[in-house]
Amino acid sequence: MEICNRDFKNAANSELRTPNSAKGHRVVITGLGVVSSIGVGKEEFWKNCLEGNSAIRPIRGFDVGSYRSRLGAQLPEVDFKAFIKPANLRRMDRIGRIVVSAVRLALDDSGIDVKKEDPNRMGMSIGTGLGSSDTVDQFFRSLLKDGPAGAAPLLFQTAVPNAIASHCSIEYGIKGVNLTFSHKETSTEMAMAFAYRLLNEGRADVILAGGGDELSEPLYHVYSMLGALSPERGKGPEGMRPFDQERNGVVLGEGSGILVLETLEHAEKRGAKMYAEMSGVGMAGSADGLLRYNLEGDSIAKAMSVAAQELSTVDYICAAANSTPDLDRAETLAIKKVFGERTKEISVGSLKSMIGEFDGSGGIRACGVALTLFHGVVPPTIGIEHLDPQCDLGVIVGQPEKKKIRSSLLNSCANGGSNISLWFKRYD
Amino acid sequence: MNRGQMRKRVVITGLGVVSAVGNSILEFWDSLIEGKDGTKEITAFDPSLYRTKIAAEISDFHPEDHFSKKEIRRFSRCDQFGIVAFREAWRSARLDGDPVDKEKVGIVLGAGSGGILSVEKYFRDFYQGVKRPSPSLLISYSLATTTDLIAIESGLKGPRTTTATVCSSSSASIGVAYEMIQMGLADVMVTGGSDSLCEVSYSGFSSLKLIDPESCKPFDKRRQGLVIGEGAGLLILEELGHALKRNAPIRSEFLGYGICADAYHLTAPEPNGEGVERVIRIALDHAGITPEEVDAINAHGTGTPFNDIAETRGIKKVFGERARGIPISGIKSMVGHCLGSAGGIEAVATVLTLESGIIPPTIHYEVPDPLCDLNYTPNQSIKRDVQVALSNSFAFGGNNVCLVFKKFSSG
Repeated sequence: MEICNRDFKNAANSELRTPNSAKGHRVVITGLGVVSSIGVGKEEFWKNCLEGNSAIRPIRGFDVGSYRSRLGAQLPEVDFKAFIKPANLRRMDRIGRIVVSAVRLALDDSGIDVKKEDPNRMGMSIGTGLGSSDTVDQFFRSLLKDGPAGAAPLLFQTAVPNAIASHCSIEYGIKGVNLTFSHKETSTEMAMAFAYRLLNEGRADVILAGGGDELSEPLYHVYSMLGALSPERGKGPEGMRPFDQERNGVVLGEGSGILVLETLEHAEKRGAKMYAEMSGVGMAGSADGLLRYNLEGDSIAKAMSVAAQELSTVDYICAAANSTPDLDRAETLAIKKVFGERTKEISVGSLKSMIGEFDGSGGIRACGVALTLFHGVVPPTIGIEHLDPQCDLGVIVGQPEKKKIRSSLLNSCANGGSNISLWFKRYD
Repeated sequence: MNRGQMRKRVVITGLGVVSAVGNSILEFWDSLIEGKDGTKEITAFDPSLYRTKIAAEISDFHPEDHFSKKEIRRFSRCDQFGIVAFREAWRSARLDGDPVDKEKVGIVLGAGSGGILSVEKYFRDFYQGVKRPSPSLLISYSLATTTDLIAIESGLKGPRTTTATVCSSSSASIGVAYEMIQMGLADVMVTGGSDSLCEVSYSGFSSLKLIDPESCKPFDKRRQGLVIGEGAGLLILEELGHALKRNAPIRSEFLGYGICADAYHLTAPEPNGEGVERVIRIALDHAGITPEEVDAINAHGTGTPFNDIAETRGIKKVFGERARGIPISGIKSMVGHCLGSAGGIEAVATVLTLESGIIPPTIHYEVPDPLCDLNYTPNQSIKRDVQVALSNSFAFGGNNVCLVFKKFSSG
């Protein structure tokens, strides 16, 4: 295992990095909205993160008897009426309600009053891997049953992947940039990266970025049929165990996380609270196979080294590791490639150990990173009985770690080969 | 005005297309300038129970010409269109055989329904208990599949993602690809999009009564709605210095784009063209172009009663008196509304317009609508020196995109 790969050191100094942070507007995080299985609202979410509580339980609401898997990290009952206007609520499906509620929470947390802002300078950048999977399925089943006469227009209009972002823009009157990304596990991270770019360029003042995914019956079926769920990928019991020796697949979760990303000037002008600064993005593709992660971690390493402008300040990595044999190992290789001897000094965690794996998890994880940077505490990774010797990183287990984090990376890796890393700095 | 700002110049060096009027750039363009109509009776599924029976379906695409039997089983119809158009674009950019650094070549595609046809097949069998459906059909569940397949086929190691705003998806993807080049994450970006006919989309639009039973007649008083299309439009975006260094063919320059939201309604556009006006102004500002410099507009022009009025009003608000002098093309009259691939296909047509100096027509135009009183290049293409052209794409929810292309000059 090479100590410090010179290639990545060079990448660190090359021209490539200049547009990432040197010029343009600084971008800060001024609000967090979380609708998760371990908390609705950032306080409840954070409390459970630090206590290492997960909501992974047997699936409720539909029958999983025909699958080998039975577990999921589902949301509690959420009173969406508390977050969304009744007229708009009626038109939204469940995933729409989940994300729009997270947007409400984020806006409230930031203190932004949209009516006092220029709506053209506010935008939405949303990621969702599988969007309205339940609505599309309902729509399709009524087609099967009743033919074209059974096709419900009110379902169709909320079934398109960009309906979520449209619901948000209509609910809050946000008229600036509006984009939806859908690329498997990297959906929300790409949405946040694009938002960062536009703010850096000054094309908006505020962008609500993140996204989410729901755990629906058809989606669970698809994941199971594709062999992605624990315990399909190994021996041993079902469970979400990133970095564990016995890990054997993912446990699905659901939810939404939204960051309020804002230019520093705009945030300072209104006296906003700053959780952290977003300061870099790196992306790299790998071609290992249509459903395969980047097996040797070289693209993941590339993404990290491009994102982090100051590698020596990275004190925490919010890992993409998701309890699959391949990814957890590949990410370990990548971290070692980039950080060499510093590897063991860096605290590593996988929030997915508590919220499960789902395409839209990045928004919630980014909120977690912002809270880690703000509070100087790293949540534990749960589910590890025996750390895989091949994943010998500084994984925090048991108690949360109190540690001032200078900067942090949020990694995301999609099966099929899209890899992205976002770099966040402590805001002082 | 952003002209003074230091941004990298980005050009188009490759084009590829699969459409109802042609499965190559040459065929496609010949058909467009001749005003050929790609509308036909649907064969992809049984249309007998639908109010409308037509679509701009691709009927002369032979997968066996491009793929092995195994690949045909594994690749959805959407994948197949995308890959074929990509191969044409890649070759036309002379990138096959070029020792380009694949770590600096990325891909952003726009998706509509993606491989949903394969997913429909699976779930139809599953729900009807007919037989054991093949799980490999479910690989197309993700909208990222076509993007990943193209990247894997070519070993692309640059940034990779998929936009998902349906009708404006593959226009937005071009903007995202542009940003990735600006950020220094890539020198070359594959972009545009692919989409295929499927029952879910067709029945959805049909249930909203947005489909014209006869033909797509943008801006015509008799218009009743869309004709759904399918296909793929792929473009290669490249940083200018990189293109010049490898002697790439330069088809046009991409100057900038606008994206914004109506924040009005889930399906209908803001009727006064307010969202249209805004997105065009944002695009022009980003591109450093004044309204006086625009020579042609490739319209969104769906042929729905609402879009065509809103689009006309928006264009008038930006261009004022000059608006009447700008030829507008509604090529959905020929290729249909290709949903996730519409933006890409129409961007391809816009580049070809700049390159050739020919503006494609809006066909089926017979009865003028007093509310749509601009020059829609009715029925016949026209020869015109076009220096700057716009391409509009507006999606459900008022998800608006406008792209700005310019004839390339090295100065």
